[in-house]
Amino acid sequence: MTLPTTPSDSDLLRQMMSGDEDAFTQLYRRRQGGVYRFALQMSGSQTLAEDVTQEVFIVLMRDGRRYDPDRGSLSAYLYGIARNHVLRKLEQDRPYVPFIDRSADAEEITPLAMIAEGDPLTELTRGETLQELRDLILSMPPRYREVVALCDLHEMSYVEAAAVIGCAVGTVRSRLHRARVLLLEKLRAARDRNEGSQEVKPARCFA
Amino acid sequence: MKCDGFEAVIDDLAKSVIMDAAVRDQALLHVASCQRCALRLADERELTAGLRALAVASAAEAPARIEASLLGAFREQQAALRTPLTSRRATHRWLYVAAGVAALVAIVMLISLTISRTRDSGQQQKPEQAIVTPTAPAQHQEPAPGLTKPPAPPEQKPSVNAPAAGAVSRRAKKTGATRGAELSNDATTEAEIVTDFFPLMNRGAGQLDSGQVVRVELPRSALMSFGLPMNMDRADERIKADVIVGNDGLARAIRFVR
Repeated sequence: MTLPTTPSDSDLLRQMMSGDEDAFTQLYRRRQGGVYRFALQMSGSQTLAEDVTQEVFIVLMRDGRRYDPDRGSLSAYLYGIARNHVLRKLEQDRPYVPFIDRSADAEEITPLAMIAEGDPLTELTRGETLQELRDLILSMPPRYREVVALCDLHEMSYVEAAAVIGCAVGTVRSRLHRARVLLLEKLRAARDRNEGSQEVKPARCFA
Repeated sequence: MKCDGFEAVIDDLAKSVIMDAAVRDQALLHVASCQRCALRLADERELTAGLRALAVASAAEAPARIEASLLGAFREQQAALRTPLTSRRATHRWLYVAAGVAALVAIVMLISLTISRTRDSGQQQKPEQAIVTPTAPAQHQEPAPGLTKPPAPPEQKPSVNAPAAGAVSRRAKKTGATRGAELSNDATTEAEIVTDFFPLMNRGAGQLDSGQVVRVELPRSALMSFGLPMNMDRADERIKADVIVGNDGLARAIRFVR
């Protein structure tokens, strides 16, 4: 008796490139969510995220044979394509003022009531919403935004994120550290605005 | 561990990723003794929790119409890939057929050309033999009218006669023993102006079974000995001549070439 095995991404890609429509459908359904969310987190625009998702899989159809498994996972390959498209579109749209439609994503916000008692998130979300955190991520420069999205939101390892971005692992680490510091500063500022509390100035530690 | 060292590992510590146990212990020991770093770690943990919550909350997926659109594109691509393949194979098949036909035509043309050349060479060997191995005794025993009659001076009015008359008017400028065999090949020779052959001795042509035509150079004064006019200003120059030499080594006839 043999256990049913799930085909790997590479297997599906191979079948897809030989014309197997089912393999394409299976691969798309497996990977589209991550690609779409990454594009959404990077751009804040559903329309752009849809376009990018579509383009990513069209590129995969066209140039799927160029994928090299030795250089990273297929997931990282798809994220890499998505990243390039998002950055290109952001560059094209830079002259325009970004508009974040909160009402469109309102249903995606997790209400505070849904967060369990004792969860560390309760500390963060006191007077805050996840939407604010999302906006803060969007307000960061793209080079920081992408490492936060990949490493923190998509829980990629530094190595995978480096494969997506096309840089050294150390660069990912340092960018992520800097991005998190930036996020904390912005969060603190937002919290102070909301609560009217005094700003806590961190003291230099000489220990 | 100092604060700088702690900053280097604070992300891993906050995200609770797998790290060196000794480094982790040192970092936690530092947190216990440094209030600022303790606050930093608390903030980082708070941020990590918030980001994880955001990741969980962001369960959005691409709309179904994207999948439908991509499936349509996939089908179109596959159809487009199949069509060129079929037409490409058909094109290749026609190329093979065309190449075969062309090869067949080339072979037929080659064969017909070879046959026609064989016939031509068979026809052209006859006048050649008439020159090299003259069989008509009259040509050598009794000079032909063209020979007896003094021809026009080669420098002023060269005569142009047909090879069948025993005198070749336009001949190849050739040297060597094969000259006689090649003399009749007008297509491959360079034009020369020649006189008729002048007999050199009163022997019967029947004695001349075969011979060779030898190209020689003579003093221009030799023209006068055959009754031909000569430009005295060019008396010191030499003139070319073809001499028919029999197998006995005796010269039988001569013509002048310009």
